[in-house]
Amino acid sequence: MTEWAVRVSEVSKRFRLYHERNQTLKSAILRGRTSKHEDFWALNDISFDVLAGETHGLIGSNGSGKSTLLKCLAKIYWPTSGTIEYRGRMASLLEVGSGFHLELSGRENIYLNGSILGMSKKDIDSKFDEIVDFSGVERFLDQPVKNYSSGMYVRLGFSIAINVDPDILVVDEVLSVGDEEFQRKSFQKFRELKKQGKTIILVTHAMPVVRDLCDSVTWLNNGVLQQSGPAPKVVDAYLESVES
Amino acid sequence: MSYLREIWDSRELLQNLTNREVRGKYRRTALGQLWSLANPIAAILIYTFIFSFIFRLPAQVGDPSGIDNYALWLVCGLLPWLFFNRVLTLGTESLVANAGLIQKVYFPRIVLPLSLTNATFFTWLLEMGVLVIALSLLGSFVIPWLPLVALFMMVFALFAVGLSMIFSIINVYFRDLSYLLTIVLQFWFYLTPILYPVELVATQSNKLGGLMGTGITLLDLYSLNPVEGFVEIFRNLLYDNRVPDLTTVLVALAWTISACVVGVWMYARKEKMLAELL
Repeated sequence: MTEWAVRVSEVSKRFRLYHERNQTLKSAILRGRTSKHEDFWALNDISFDVLAGETHGLIGSNGSGKSTLLKCLAKIYWPTSGTIEYRGRMASLLEVGSGFHLELSGRENIYLNGSILGMSKKDIDSKFDEIVDFSGVERFLDQPVKNYSSGMYVRLGFSIAINVDPDILVVDEVLSVGDEEFQRKSFQKFRELKKQGKTIILVTHAMPVVRDLCDSVTWLNNGVLQQSGPAPKVVDAYLESVES
Repeated sequence: MSYLREIWDSRELLQNLTNREVRGKYRRTALGQLWSLANPIAAILIYTFIFSFIFRLPAQVGDPSGIDNYALWLVCGLLPWLFFNRVLTLGTESLVANAGLIQKVYFPRIVLPLSLTNATFFTWLLEMGVLVIALSLLGSFVIPWLPLVALFMMVFALFAVGLSMIFSIINVYFRDLSYLLTIVLQFWFYLTPILYPVELVATQSNKLGGLMGTGITLLDLYSLNPVEGFVEIFRNLLYDNRVPDLTTVLVALAWTISACVVGVWMYARKEKMLAELL
């Protein structure tokens, strides 16, 4: 019996849709109260477990709440109610190259970005060669990243993020980064992580990727959990509902 | 408590973000870090010309140091102010300016105003280094006072960062604040005895007596400004070479502790909601 790595229990997330949002002092003073709003529940009582070592996919159509859930998992949003528990260190990869400073060199940005993602200097030192190798920007390492091509930029960002080496990795649709060859390398890397027993949670619209990588899947629709379980079964059910 | 622990754990990130600010700022300029001295030097030249040469404001004689130089007297108060001004201006915008990062990565948000303050502190340290050299050349025996100067620089930095933490959170709700702040800082600057000695205010205050029939004088109101005490402390140490008044020090410490406690408390409370508020 494998143990859970991430436990999502009864998570709900409310957003406030503001009709009149007082973001200026003037309106706050004139109207006296803060704002008028309407509640919107982006997530409604979601519960599921992700087992350790599993690759778990979040699927659903646009606006289904899967990105909100992913952000909750990445600790960027906090659930209005319910809890998310982790066993092990979690790192998230929602966007590549967040926090890059354009004037700084690739080398300096590896250290900067690494520490934003939660790596210690020692971690980065030991992973440095691997990061550079994987990104393939070795020749330009001491150039400011603003001179990088967009491909080089995302490759470097992805290589840092993938080397954070957490127990649990939360990934947004970043598998579509870089050219054909880099994508192949990325998939390879994901398989390696999987083999090392890492738990991965990812959001994607590409069903072939889900079938290929994921062991289990959670399907959301309008903020409500439809099904959570083994990948082939849930994906089939999802595709069926989309086609009908 | 656990929040303070989290801040401590992210010290490496804090250091890296500070480096980002310091190194990234003057990239591709010929003079580099020297540019940070340009602003204060320009201000010193202008103010000295206007207040010492045109208005003939008498220079304050340092007691017991005995130096008599308006420009130096001015700078001892001006450099702390310029630091304060930068920390508040940049710090207030630190969350809104880093919205992209906050919405994509989880890390203790408090490192944003902290790293800005660190980077600004580094610039201030350079400026103060130059000031110490100038003071020594012109007859203030400032070296033995440096440990105390360093200590109060840190206290003042904590006060500034505490305040900018509070402002940065408010600025997320009311974006007007950063615009309002530029105006407030102008008033604040002229209401702090940086260009003129506080004695001139005291004279006017004595003439007026108690305001509106109460025992409160203009000077009492004027002295509510926390920066006033800090300016006095820095002038005492650097220009006069004497120990500052104990009451002034205690009031400054009280302000610092309150600003930091409120600032950290606001972050601990609001941090989790920042990503959606931005």
